[in-house]
Amino acid sequence: MIRDFGLLEVLSILQGMWTTLALSAVAFIGGGVFGTLVALARTSAWKWLRALAGAYIDFFQGTPMLMQLFLVYYGLPVFGYHVSAWTAVSIGLTFHASAFLGEIWRGGIQAVPKGQSEAASALGLGYISRMRDVVLPQAVKLSFAPTIGFLVQLIKGTSLAAIIGFVELSRSAQIAASTTYKPLIAYGLAAACYFAICFPLSRLSARYERRFATNT
Amino acid sequence: MASAQIHAHVADTHKANEEPIIAITGLQKYYGAFHALKNINLEVAKGERIVICGPSGSGKSTMIRCVNRIEEFEAGSIVVDGISLGESLKNVNAVRAEVGMVFQQFNLFPHLTVLQNCMLAPIRVRKVSSKDAEAIAMKYLERVRIPDQANKYPAQLSGGQQQRVAIARALCMTPKVMLFDEPTSALDPEMVKEVLDTMVSLAQEGMTMLCVTHEMGFARSVADHVIFMDGGEIIEKAKPEEFFSAPKNERTRNFLGQILNH
Repeated sequence: MIRDFGLLEVLSILQGMWTTLALSAVAFIGGGVFGTLVALARTSAWKWLRALAGAYIDFFQGTPMLMQLFLVYYGLPVFGYHVSAWTAVSIGLTFHASAFLGEIWRGGIQAVPKGQSEAASALGLGYISRMRDVVLPQAVKLSFAPTIGFLVQLIKGTSLAAIIGFVELSRSAQIAASTTYKPLIAYGLAAACYFAICFPLSRLSARYERRFATNT
Repeated sequence: MASAQIHAHVADTHKANEEPIIAITGLQKYYGAFHALKNINLEVAKGERIVICGPSGSGKSTMIRCVNRIEEFEAGSIVVDGISLGESLKNVNAVRAEVGMVFQQFNLFPHLTVLQNCMLAPIRVRKVSSKDAEAIAMKYLERVRIPDQANKYPAQLSGGQQQRVAIARALCMTPKVMLFDEPTSALDPEMVKEVLDTMVSLAQEGMTMLCVTHEMGFARSVADHVIFMDGGEIIEKAKPEEFFSAPKNERTRNFLGQILNH
């Protein structure tokens, strides 16, 4: 039975867009929290911790995100954790994002002049305050543009979750395409949705970069 | 009553003479194969003002950076106000809280206002309330004659103003010792005086100071002792009048000839 491409299809694609946004938010926030830890480990005074974080980053940068999602989705049940596609995808994307954000923020931390943490140390500030109050605020500012750039990649990357059966924007467009035989409309609409999310972010990043360039 | 006070004062001085506030013994520092500090021994009495000069690369900055462990060292010991450096991390932070430092490049925190720069360490290290920290910060900003700039960001200030904020920021921790690492070297000439004036008034109030500087006028008028370093060693230590009129070592004479005769 071939359906017409109607309001139902449009609504289901919009529903998919909402799921994509939610998944991206979860991955970005989770990745942000763990990414901060990865960045701190990567810039730690202890060599073994730096090496460990380096290996973690290398693994996630050196393997396709799809494989990472498969490993979580099929790997967790092996250890006795039977989780929903939602949970598996969230965990997989969080790992992935933490490695990339960790590496971006590592660069930011190292770009903060050494004199800053020296001055903080000289005032008697401990490591936590030195990082939280002095180094990280400046590092985040310095890495704002690449962070947003990665967020855009991440949002588009969530489409891979469709392959393990998770219904987000791409998957809902695929479903609409196969029930209506109007793939061009379905995928065109999905692409427009991705663009509507990603384009403003890219513009924000570019504008911030210009402002930052004129300020310094 | 008055005599008791004088007596107490004398006793205090006597005690200070016995126990230096900084005692550096056998300090050795390497950068890889480069021997940066060679067996440095130095005692600084409470209230003493010491100016350290010498050619670049002579180890003078490295030496004062070792005092608060901004720089690691390989051998020797540094005791600051009875606290020995070298063992635990806790001691390092205890020493740093008592030792203020002013850097050549100011190193103010650019994302914080002048006031916030001054309030940060009292809040985080001394655990005072933010209201009290603000009062402390304003007190020292007034002391360096810059309270009207409190809500500006460092980048909005001139170099001389930034360096005075950096001094105020260090003073907010009420340190027992102040270290100055070429505090006027990065300043435009017309701003040197305002920073030196601040340092002079600090010296007059009895602050113990270690200053790496080439401001020989400052050394002459303020220092109790002038130290000349070269090649990672203390070559000469003398009172300023002797140091400038009759330096004993030939290297000191050469150096003074280079910086004074033009």
